[in-house]
Amino acid sequence: MSGFRLERRVDASPQAAAWSRVAGAVVALLVSGLVLLLTGRNPITILFDALDAIFGSQRGLEGTALRAVPILMTGLAVALSLRMKVWNIGSDGQFLMGAFAAVGVGIHLGGPSWFVLIVMALAATAAGALWIAVPAFARAHWDVNEIITTLLLNFVAVQLVAWASLGFWRDAGAAVIQSTEKVPVVLPALPGTEQLTVALLVPLAIAVVLAWVFRSTKVGFEIDIMGGNPRAAVFAGINVKRRILIVMLVTGAIAGLGGMLQLSAPGAQALSPGFSAQFGLSGFIVAALAGGSFRGVIVGGFFIASMFFAGLVLQTKGLSVFIIFGIYGIILMGVALGEVAAKYRIVKAMSPAGVAPAPVSP
Amino acid sequence: MSVTPAAGHNAIETRNLSKLFGGVAALDGVDFDVARGEVHALLGENGAGKTTLSNILSGIYRADAGELLVDGAVSEFKNPAQSIEAGIGMVHQHFKLVPTMTVAENMHLGWSETPRIISQKVLGERAQALMDEVGLRVDPQAKVWQLSVGEQQRVEILRVLARGARLLILDEPTAVLTAVEARELFDVMRRLADGGRSVVFISHKLREVLEVSDRVTVLRNGQRVATRATEGATVNELARLMTGEERSLQVEHRKVTGDPILVLKDVNAQNDRGIPALHDIDLAVRSGEIMGIAGVSGNGQTELAQVITGLRPLTWGTIHLDGVEISRKSVRNIADLGVGHIPEDRIGVGMVASAPVKDNAALRSYWGSELSSGIRLRRNAVVEFAERLVEAGRVRTRSVFATAGQMSGGNQQRLVARREALVASRVLVAAHPTRGLDVNATQEVQSSILERRDAGCAVVFLSDDLDEVLLMSDRIAVLYEGRVVDVVSAADAERERLGLLMGGHV
Amino acid sequence: MMLALIDNAFLSVIAAAIPASTVVVLAATGCLLGERVGVLNLGQEGLIGVGAVYGVIAVTSWSVTSPWIALLLGMFAAAVAGVLFAVAVVVFRASQVLAGLALALGGIGLSNQLGTNRNGTPIKVLFTEVNPWGAFDDGGLLEAFLYHDPIVYIAYLVLPAILLFVLFHTRHGMNMRAVGENPAAADAAGVSVSWSRFGYTVLGCAISGAGGAYMVLSFTPTWSPDIARGRGWVALAVVIFAGWKPFRVVAGALLYGAMISLDATAQARGWELPLLKGSNLSFFLSMLPFLVTLIAILVPAGAAKLTSRKVPTAAPAALAIPYSREER
Repeated sequence: MSGFRLERRVDASPQAAAWSRVAGAVVALLVSGLVLLLTGRNPITILFDALDAIFGSQRGLEGTALRAVPILMTGLAVALSLRMKVWNIGSDGQFLMGAFAAVGVGIHLGGPSWFVLIVMALAATAAGALWIAVPAFARAHWDVNEIITTLLLNFVAVQLVAWASLGFWRDAGAAVIQSTEKVPVVLPALPGTEQLTVALLVPLAIAVVLAWVFRSTKVGFEIDIMGGNPRAAVFAGINVKRRILIVMLVTGAIAGLGGMLQLSAPGAQALSPGFSAQFGLSGFIVAALAGGSFRGVIVGGFFIASMFFAGLVLQTKGLSVFIIFGIYGIILMGVALGEVAAKYRIVKAMSPAGVAPAPVSP
Repeated sequence: MSVTPAAGHNAIETRNLSKLFGGVAALDGVDFDVARGEVHALLGENGAGKTTLSNILSGIYRADAGELLVDGAVSEFKNPAQSIEAGIGMVHQHFKLVPTMTVAENMHLGWSETPRIISQKVLGERAQALMDEVGLRVDPQAKVWQLSVGEQQRVEILRVLARGARLLILDEPTAVLTAVEARELFDVMRRLADGGRSVVFISHKLREVLEVSDRVTVLRNGQRVATRATEGATVNELARLMTGEERSLQVEHRKVTGDPILVLKDVNAQNDRGIPALHDIDLAVRSGEIMGIAGVSGNGQTELAQVITGLRPLTWGTIHLDGVEISRKSVRNIADLGVGHIPEDRIGVGMVASAPVKDNAALRSYWGSELSSGIRLRRNAVVEFAERLVEAGRVRTRSVFATAGQMSGGNQQRLVARREALVASRVLVAAHPTRGLDVNATQEVQSSILERRDAGCAVVFLSDDLDEVLLMSDRIAVLYEGRVVDVVSAADAERERLGLLMGGHV
Repeated sequence: MMLALIDNAFLSVIAAAIPASTVVVLAATGCLLGERVGVLNLGQEGLIGVGAVYGVIAVTSWSVTSPWIALLLGMFAAAVAGVLFAVAVVVFRASQVLAGLALALGGIGLSNQLGTNRNGTPIKVLFTEVNPWGAFDDGGLLEAFLYHDPIVYIAYLVLPAILLFVLFHTRHGMNMRAVGENPAAADAAGVSVSWSRFGYTVLGCAISGAGGAYMVLSFTPTWSPDIARGRGWVALAVVIFAGWKPFRVVAGALLYGAMISLDATAQARGWELPLLKGSNLSFFLSMLPFLVTLIAILVPAGAAKLTSRKVPTAAPAALAIPYSREER
């Protein structure tokens, strides 16, 4: 009865949980390398190619930052819902509906471009919120689990976007890729960059605001209480139903705004069936990795965006775009296991006084 | 299953049994034996190790040290199936039934003698046959979630008897029963023992132990302190063994006069399942008075505490505090008016185990001007507030930044009790505030409640331990099936009569 | 005459829906099996991919000549993926949502990587149609309705019948349901929660994988990128829509297939509705299954709330909740 054994703790400290998730992700990357090796690829070469693609040029860095915008926005949306222990798996749909609304405004509304951009942003925000409204209401008032309802609406959004791109808003002149008409306005460029716009500042600002809300306001405190124990939140006099509804709407709005930011980058400007390269899923992984920390979302968002970008570049070297999905999957599994590992600690096996053999009864 | 136990051995015996949770010994070198044909009471306060011991006997936990003998042979149960196979049947305090399945299905779960091919009809007939044989009856085709608590317990007992259990372990079986149901259960226990089976009766209720058992083993802090024949034992003696000291808390029962500050009139409310749980409750509690609420759990106590504190809407009636109607006010308004609430499920409702102690300390006052300004929460003020509360409440924690879940149960209760005492400038609703606490923590909590009383609070004190209600209260209201059947002065309350009232015998 | 026309149109839609929905039926059945013991498996999309790609590999690279063997190999591959998932969620009690999405993504990634070089390769080893109701081989619609390969009969009739029987008419099935409803109760009664959950999660994954293998060995019949195209997610929704009942899963999946094939039939016959003409109808029909499922989830929940009746829902009560015996 000596040696060591695993013991489960009631709860892990946030720091331990965070490190454990990161460790899980790192192990997952190593496993990914192993899988690549097994499928006949040299992971080291791929790693260096990827690093070169990302860090080797300003183009690479900007390419990463460009992809980071939608991933950060959906990541923030999911992370905010996770603070409340709600799984918003529908951020992809909200993102698409944001872009959908932005296109609708952009191709139909005239006026100065700053005005059009603002209306686009408002419409996208509203559309994202609207897209989660039904799951949010059902969750808040009818106790309907949000996982499947938010997920289902992703597919509706995908079809709606396809419908718009190939149907009612189709640009008859578009040659190769079928898409909607182009929005004539773009966001102002970020000084000193070639491809980036002020869109990059938006998720950073939102992260700062959210971090402040959770550090210094009553609302943040209340959301954390709800996430920790909804019954205690009721006991503390928090209107849990209304708050779930509102926070879920806000998560939808953030994802929706992400759609508008993506749409109004120079060169994008139109909606096509492949508009969201599963940004919602990427954002979900970012949020799972960050575990509800908004600083973590920023770091994790750039990390996932760099992988995404590297994947795009490496396609030219014969890697399938889907391999990124595979690696995402392995990372997510690593995070899931890391989260559990944080709940265990290794303890020395006990040696109580009572170990000595008992006297034989007469 | 058909093995006949060799004569001369105990039905079950443990030697030096130990079990640790998080490095703390829940069970520490316990010797325990049960003879055939006896009802053996396992007595101890909450946390003494009774449930841990029975969970080891039933294969739910594995012992960290020591050995276990069944019919004289050393055994080790890796899982509940092996324990059942050895003829041990556990009736859990929290029923282990599947609510969406029928009584017959629940009786046949995980049982090797269940026919491989089943139908509701076959299972129903088999269940009926067993019920006829044992003399315990429940509708075999009813779904478990539709049954009363007493009926659910019968299903549990039937289930273990079906499997040929020779040793029954009943974990706090009377906690949820009315007096009449408890008497019926004692008859069943006696019959089973007379038929050659053994019964382990786990309880902390001394009178019941004296009434039904042949022998009694007392546990304290995970250790066995005594085993003796029940005959000749007295309540005082067992109480001393159980608590390690005489109960020293002396409470003066006062006749409080003056205007009531908390007045409930015609209060009706529903439970979580939408069924009426409170009927026409009329209660008036005066300043400086403790109104004890006696009753078997499940007779409306939970709902009563919740309607007073605004957690549950009324379907009819009014509640006034200092002449102001509060029955339509929010939880927060009611707290601001000076109503504190120690909830019965302190971990599930009263605190956030995953949040820091400081946030839990602020849980019921963070919105006030002391801790907030505008939309901002003053984090430094929260920390200072929590440190003061922890100090004043003698809550032992590493720091106010550690999570509340890392504290022991007693310290969690101290935190909640202190926090609510601060809220309760007018009224304190204390629901089972000492459940699961050791003697010292119990007395501290009781003292803090008396302190509130002496400060002029109206206290509503709910407990399913009648002795505690008798000890603490100035007046006692008895709840039965959601109605106040009587209100008596504690000074001239008779235990027997209260017991009858609690069982609905008016 | 009019009646016959409606009849024929209806039959043709259903006839086309049957093979189209087979993969959904299989994936949903696999999903149902896991959920009945309390394990939510969001990985269906990945499992279909893995089953499909190994079905292709079996017949193209391993020169398997029997579609049955290829099907089994696809199932086996999905089961291996399922073992990884089950180890994570049953043994280590990881979050079923995270691990399930990981399985979906990992499966999509792996299958597409392996399928890259096999895009569009026609599959020659195929299941062949059988017609157990020989009387109807009249070359007409009835034949189309009743003339399918054996997997169709297994998916639509044999598998649900077995499942229905096992779940509701055997001791073993009763124990399974108890594990999904209240693992603590099942455990206390002597049912092994871990083994039930592990075993049926893996078996469920294998059945979902069979759905993928069926696609390449009969339906498409070739590998194409992203082969599941959302059918795995549809399967998850179908299980909820079906209230966790085996034959309702079949009906739900058929409804989904019917909407897809209604689209094809409508295109072919030039049907139109006033507002939904041509491709518009097609887009509308492809989002309809998701909307219908959403409504099917919301209506009972809302109705229960409005009538303020608290009746247990059809969902296994312990779904997606890890079980630990010694948790205090």
